[in-house]
Amino acid sequence: MEVINTLMETVMSNQVSIPLIEPMLDLLPEIPMLQYMVAFMLWKPLFAILICPGLTVGGITLLFFPWIERKLCGRAQWRVGPHEIVWWLGGVIQILADTLRFLFQEVIVHKDAHRPYFLQFPFLSFMIFLLPLLFIPAGTIVAIQTPYAIQIILALVCLFPLFILGLGWASNSRFAYIGTVREAFVYFAYEIPFIIAAIAMIILYGTSDPLLMASRQSIPGIILNPIAALVFFIGAAMATSRMPFEIAESDQELCAGPHVEYSGIAFGLIYVLCYEKAYILSALMTILFLGGGSGPAIAGLGDLSGVFWFVVKTYLVLTTLFMLRTVYPRYRLDQGLKLGWSPMLCLALIGLAISLVVVAVRVI
Amino acid sequence: MEETEKDRNIRILHSGVFTPLRRWATKWSLWPCHFLTSCCGVELAHTGACGYDMERLGTLNMGISRQTNFIMVEGTITRKMARALRIVWEQMPDPKFVNVIGACGQRGGIFWNSYNITRPSDIVPVDFFVPGCPITPESLLRGVRAVQEKIEGRDNTTIRFKHVELPSGDGEENRAPTTPKIFAPTPLVRVDVPRDVDWAFGNDLVKNLKAQLKGLYTSITITDKNRIAIKTTPENLVETSRKLSDTMGVDHVKNVNVIDVPHERKFMVEYMVSGYTEELMPVILTIFTEIGREAEPEIPSLTSLWESANYSERELHDFFGVQFKGNEGMKGKFLLAPDTPDTPLRKDFKLEEEQYTIEDGVPLTSAITPPHYMPPSSSLSYSESELEDLKMPAYEDVLKEAEKNDEFVAFIGPHHSGSGHLRWVMRMKGDIIKDVIPDPGYVHRSMEKIAENRLYIQNVPLTERPNITDPINMNLGYVRAIENALGIEVPERAKYIRTIMAELSRIGAFFYDMGIFPLFMGHSTGFMYSFAIREMVLELMVRMTGSRCTPSFIIPGGIRRDISDDVLDRTRKFTTAIHKRLKKYENIFVYNPVLISRMKEVGVLTREEAIRCGIVGPFLRASGVEYDVRKAEPYEVYDKLDWEATTGDAGDCLGRIFGRLEEMKQSVKIVRQAVDAVQEMPRDGVISEEILGDYKEASGDIRGYLYNVYGDLVLPKGEWTSVTEAARGTVLYSIISDGESNVPYRVRIITPCWMNLRGIIEASKGERVADFWTVYASFGYFPPEADR
Amino acid sequence: MKSMKKVVGPEYNLGEKIKTNVYAVGVAMQESVYPHTATVFYPRERKKMPDNFRGFILFDPDKCISCFNCSFVCPANAIRMKEAPNKRYYPTVDYGRCIFCHFCIDSCSGGALKATKIHDVAYKDMDEMFTPTEEMIELPEIIREDKKYVEYEIEEDDLHLKRTKGEDYLFVDVPPPIQIPMVSQCIDRASCIGCRVCEEMCESGAISSSAENGMLRMKIDTDKCTGCGLCVKECSMQILKLERK
Repeated sequence: MEVINTLMETVMSNQVSIPLIEPMLDLLPEIPMLQYMVAFMLWKPLFAILICPGLTVGGITLLFFPWIERKLCGRAQWRVGPHEIVWWLGGVIQILADTLRFLFQEVIVHKDAHRPYFLQFPFLSFMIFLLPLLFIPAGTIVAIQTPYAIQIILALVCLFPLFILGLGWASNSRFAYIGTVREAFVYFAYEIPFIIAAIAMIILYGTSDPLLMASRQSIPGIILNPIAALVFFIGAAMATSRMPFEIAESDQELCAGPHVEYSGIAFGLIYVLCYEKAYILSALMTILFLGGGSGPAIAGLGDLSGVFWFVVKTYLVLTTLFMLRTVYPRYRLDQGLKLGWSPMLCLALIGLAISLVVVAVRVI
Repeated sequence: MEETEKDRNIRILHSGVFTPLRRWATKWSLWPCHFLTSCCGVELAHTGACGYDMERLGTLNMGISRQTNFIMVEGTITRKMARALRIVWEQMPDPKFVNVIGACGQRGGIFWNSYNITRPSDIVPVDFFVPGCPITPESLLRGVRAVQEKIEGRDNTTIRFKHVELPSGDGEENRAPTTPKIFAPTPLVRVDVPRDVDWAFGNDLVKNLKAQLKGLYTSITITDKNRIAIKTTPENLVETSRKLSDTMGVDHVKNVNVIDVPHERKFMVEYMVSGYTEELMPVILTIFTEIGREAEPEIPSLTSLWESANYSERELHDFFGVQFKGNEGMKGKFLLAPDTPDTPLRKDFKLEEEQYTIEDGVPLTSAITPPHYMPPSSSLSYSESELEDLKMPAYEDVLKEAEKNDEFVAFIGPHHSGSGHLRWVMRMKGDIIKDVIPDPGYVHRSMEKIAENRLYIQNVPLTERPNITDPINMNLGYVRAIENALGIEVPERAKYIRTIMAELSRIGAFFYDMGIFPLFMGHSTGFMYSFAIREMVLELMVRMTGSRCTPSFIIPGGIRRDISDDVLDRTRKFTTAIHKRLKKYENIFVYNPVLISRMKEVGVLTREEAIRCGIVGPFLRASGVEYDVRKAEPYEVYDKLDWEATTGDAGDCLGRIFGRLEEMKQSVKIVRQAVDAVQEMPRDGVISEEILGDYKEASGDIRGYLYNVYGDLVLPKGEWTSVTEAARGTVLYSIISDGESNVPYRVRIITPCWMNLRGIIEASKGERVADFWTVYASFGYFPPEADR
Repeated sequence: MKSMKKVVGPEYNLGEKIKTNVYAVGVAMQESVYPHTATVFYPRERKKMPDNFRGFILFDPDKCISCFNCSFVCPANAIRMKEAPNKRYYPTVDYGRCIFCHFCIDSCSGGALKATKIHDVAYKDMDEMFTPTEEMIELPEIIREDKKYVEYEIEEDDLHLKRTKGEDYLFVDVPPPIQIPMVSQCIDRASCIGCRVCEEMCESGAISSSAENGMLRMKIDTDKCTGCGLCVKECSMQILKLERK
């Protein structure tokens, strides 16, 4: 009994407060058990995992963001994008149909593939890709609060390419091989400037706790240090293989590179991976440069106000990231590498210097 | 009844707990694995582009077989391609669907009696057949809708005919007529029929040639203006050519041709050569010789002298079995599949005859034997040997050599999102291309053999099929060769309209290439924008001719019918309307700094290299050769209009693309001027009265009398060669007539892409792997055009 | 060749690089806010094809003179003639081969073959693609889901899509082509060997034969002659010729 009480205390002390639904919550104690469940749901860490930025918002992003992307690109390309499936809603459930189709389709494991890894990697990488969400705060809501959150997220983000390499290796195909090698090259090219840009911001704010970072961004980071923001954005585009850095997957050269042999739900998972990756990196960008969940408080939403601003900003970054596809063609591998190793690295170092200067000015 | 493979896919959808969900999801997520085998692929691209936007229906085009569930077979499946179709189909996860679009994939369309085609329905189970040649985007989408309905459980043909009883009566039984084709029993085949022409330079040239080639030639004849035939012996062939190359500045081969004359037991081998010096530019020298008609006749190759003859010699080795000694590619087949008949262009290989009547119970076409490696459709598993049979040839020697040199080999194509229908064996060291070995012929539809079995007028639709992105120019070349032979003067109005259409066609081809180029660069917006502009061009085409891509509108002596003022007015507006969208296209794609950096100094061909490889057209001009047929040997009304040909000297991808961009702008200028001129002209007929004969009233519109006028067209004896500037370069038609038959004795078609193939290989050597696609796309390579 | 225009590709400095980047992004942003969409929403609307569009073919047996021209000229051998109950030959079309060049319609002097605007059809089976004469006489029904039709209007400034409610018509009846009356004439009676091929060929019964003093004498009735030219083509001595009436 005592254990439950302590647990309840912990839970109740860290609740998501939403003034708008409080009258409803007050009615709840009359229904047995439900109040505990609601209390658990509104427990910040659990809320973060289940609702935002965790499974619900993440799931919605994966399910609807590709649609938004396809619609927006379609619009910019003088056409309409997915439409007929429910035409009065503009084909909003197109991705659901695609996902279900992949789910019900045969998964082919070809003869030359390394069977266990070929099947494990898509699922494993999907799990690993979810981990950074534990450390990303939406407003004030975060699953695990630690002063080293940014470092942990970066470390996990740096794990991603390893899984892509695994996918490519297990496929045992010529195109997958070339694609995998390219992925490895690009990985090294963007990783360093990308991390330096993040470190620049950590120095600037003097902390790597995302919640503190948000509170210290009375002026958003993107204005304080635009150079680092640019480097971080380009690095994110490279990390998620967006145009113009879709070098490893390049559909017309390598038939999607590491993914060439995947079919059915295994491909479905890989297909959403890049959106998942983009979602995490956009969230990170929001925290580092756009002030996280800070924004004018919306009456009645309470803690959800932060969540709202966080989601809006993240989607803004995501959209920008995906709209790059309509503007740029693909770089060649050596050009991509050159860009990563020289201008981006230089810019990242300049960004670092700017941070130091800003910190110095602040101290003086 | 045994379950067919076709039913199996539907059964998979209808089994299990989640049946409704499965069906719904599959219905709205049919991703076609674009099987761009031939010309219908152009319309598929239009369906995918913003004009119709296939993605609306959830049908997202994707190039990778593992992730798709729908094949649209776009047109001809040749014997070489059949294997790829089966492999791709096998690679796809269940449930999967197949639509065949275009007549070629059904009963063969215009290629129905070709020696190199198969029927897709023999190779994979087909769900729906969409008629058309090419299909329109609408009918393609109708096919998609039909599959969607089939998934829901309604498997129906979407047209319902009404049956009307025919009048009965007791007429007399009539005899069915025989074929309208006349073949001379012992045709007199000569390529050096002398002709009196007013050509002072030619007479000097002949004198000069006679002096230079003393003792090497048998005869030198002027066969037409700008055409000289030099007869020599096989022994002297190389020496003659060397003399020409050393002293006269002859630097490239335009065409290599073999003519089979079985009743005289000989082959005639001819090389059409020319030089890119100012006075030699319009001249074509035909060096020809005769060799005995044995099983494996031999003749020395001229490849060492003129690299540009290389691929054509290899091609002719396939067709006639002639050994060109000295050419390395004389082992094995180049264009043809292993199971195509040997030496199909020899006269003793006969194609299936046309039937003009139909009787109950007689099958419509005799069956085309499916390729031997197709497993029986009922069995779903392969035995080891069948599997081995199904694999594409693996180039063992190349693999071994590459391993020795520490190189990596990738086999690209024929089904690859960026290969086109060609197989490239790419040897690379790290990221650098060491060599690319082309394996063409996946769309070889035996155009030349078919052409020598059809009436002259029936070849008009045929000649535009190699390249339906640029149909008018392809047509124009063929028709001009006929007009030249018959000595017909085309009415002025028709000439102008032809010019308008040829230039529109050139604009269309440019936007096709510049739509595929962005795709290769991963830039879908560029693709959409340029196809939107192309959609405008096609709108004009359909209003002028009634067909989007295959007008068949230019006929000997003029055009089929006059075009209305309304359409002319639209064309005039088009010349200004294009600029708004073009500007956006340029800003987002052409001038995009990423693209510029991709193109600059990539795939450089110097002037010498370009000439040596024999590349033609805007790509040759981009390397600094100032040769444009429209300027060098003006036809239609090009000499009356104010325009400039383009040239450049960088010779890289950037130069090629910007050269063509400027050329397209010049085309718009030409169209504008020509429309202005036509609008002021009286409507006094668009078909030459010389050719109409008794049917003079039809000069404004051929409707009703096409066959009466053109059915019995016979060309004078001799060889008639025309060169035309098509969108991608010089297209050469060489028609050999015996003077008696109403079918040509031999038609040789040299398309620009075929000549450019060598250039692509040379330009991509030493570049990075990704650059191969830049080079490939900058040449606007169109496989059906190259393979013919 | 001095009039050739030299084209040089652009070379960017940093400023121009930024400028072109901004332009490219600008176009994308502008178009995503205010797009110049050019999409036709087939199957819910269809593009209006011009009246001369080359689609499926209709046939009017009353106007047919069974001249075989359509069959002879067909480059794909899709048109083959079939004997009707009244012993005349009428065309059939195999849409598995038809390339829609409409050479047949341009060769039909009587105007018996007519073009429709039907082109969006999917067949379940290849055997169904063969259309006998009986099915070519009336306009077939196709599945139509379209409620609107769209016209591509090319104006001086840009391409515009004009949408109109209602169904586009699929068949335009055009007047028959200009009549150029031709008749078959024998140009060298003396050479006639009396094989009677011409009589057997003639679908309109214009050629008759009679025996005169042991010689077969052929007669051409110019009123009945339709000028189809079959006898001219088949004449074994090549002594017949089409001439103007």
